[in-house]
Amino acid sequence: MVGMSVLRSAAAFAARLSPLKSGNNAAQLLSRIIPRTDKVAVRFGGGHGKQMFVVRSTSFYDRRFLRLLRFYILLTGIPMAIIITGVNVFIGQAEQVETPEGYEPEHWEYYKHPITRWMTRTLFDSPVKDYEKMMAAIHNEKEKSDMRLTQLEVSRQMRMKGDGPWFQSKTPNKDLIHYGHKSTPDN
Amino acid sequence: MKDHDNAAYPEPPRKTPVVDKQTSLPNPAVILTNLFYYSVDVPVSKFKGVLDSIRSNNKSVYYHQKFRRIPELTDCENGDYLCYYEAEMQWRRDYKVDQEIVKIVQERMKACYQREGSSYKQNCIKEIEQFEETSNNFQLRYGDLGAYASGRKCLMKQKERMMADQAQTS
Repeated sequence: MVGMSVLRSAAAFAARLSPLKSGNNAAQLLSRIIPRTDKVAVRFGGGHGKQMFVVRSTSFYDRRFLRLLRFYILLTGIPMAIIITGVNVFIGQAEQVETPEGYEPEHWEYYKHPITRWMTRTLFDSPVKDYEKMMAAIHNEKEKSDMRLTQLEVSRQMRMKGDGPWFQSKTPNKDLIHYGHKSTPDN
Repeated sequence: MKDHDNAAYPEPPRKTPVVDKQTSLPNPAVILTNLFYYSVDVPVSKFKGVLDSIRSNNKSVYYHQKFRRIPELTDCENGDYLCYYEAEMQWRRDYKVDQEIVKIVQERMKACYQREGSSYKQNCIKEIEQFEETSNNFQLRYGDLGAYASGRKCLMKQKERMMADQAQTS
């Protein structure tokens, strides 16, 4: 016993006293709990009859699908629900009033719900700006179309009258013409 | 904001009879109304009161947008596409407004029918007449224009109507 630890000696002593008990080795000596004698796995018991191995087709893939569906829906669903509930509870909807004299409301002040107001204020252009953008596009196209029409008309006139800069073909210089072989009447 | 227009949606006269209780038994209607009041009405009103007090320092307002009148399609020069666009937008706004007008008139007629019960044929004549006139005019003006309705098509429809009238009278 000299050279052994106190725990080992206590374990040896307990093992000598009751050698067949399973909780008597060194590791379990200090930390063993009181054995419960009511919750034990009992074979052939319970009165439910014979245990059957139920052969079923797999529900793993179905349950996995539903699990993933719930997960991905709730991933953005829960924050969205919290935000929307918070906005509706803490920042209520706007009330309609008459426009005061001489006051030009901003374009987001024409909407009721605070989230719509925020969206039109931060994310979208005002309807006035959209209108003007459309008008600018129409104006551009109109100018292009007008220019094309005038070009057609001008080219028709120039082709007809022949006095404009278009539809002129380059002829060689008069001085280059060689009249030599025609200079005598007998050629 | 007021709830509704009392001239257009008048409340019917109250028909509560004078209480003339001759038994000492409890009145089940009174019991049920009290039950409903305490179990539904009071909690809901309390909840609304709580929410209103939370929201009272974040109040905001919204306005009704009014648009200027713009020269119509008939007042536009030929080929002035900007004028066409503005007239078209105005026509679309007017179309929406007219749809809402018809809806409101229809709602008034339905409310009248609901109020009067079985005597709607004699008491609701004004509403019914108003609804018939409004919906007929709407059909005449915007009737079969379809989903791609536009100011030009409406104008052409008006021209067809005028031509048909002229053909009929002459």
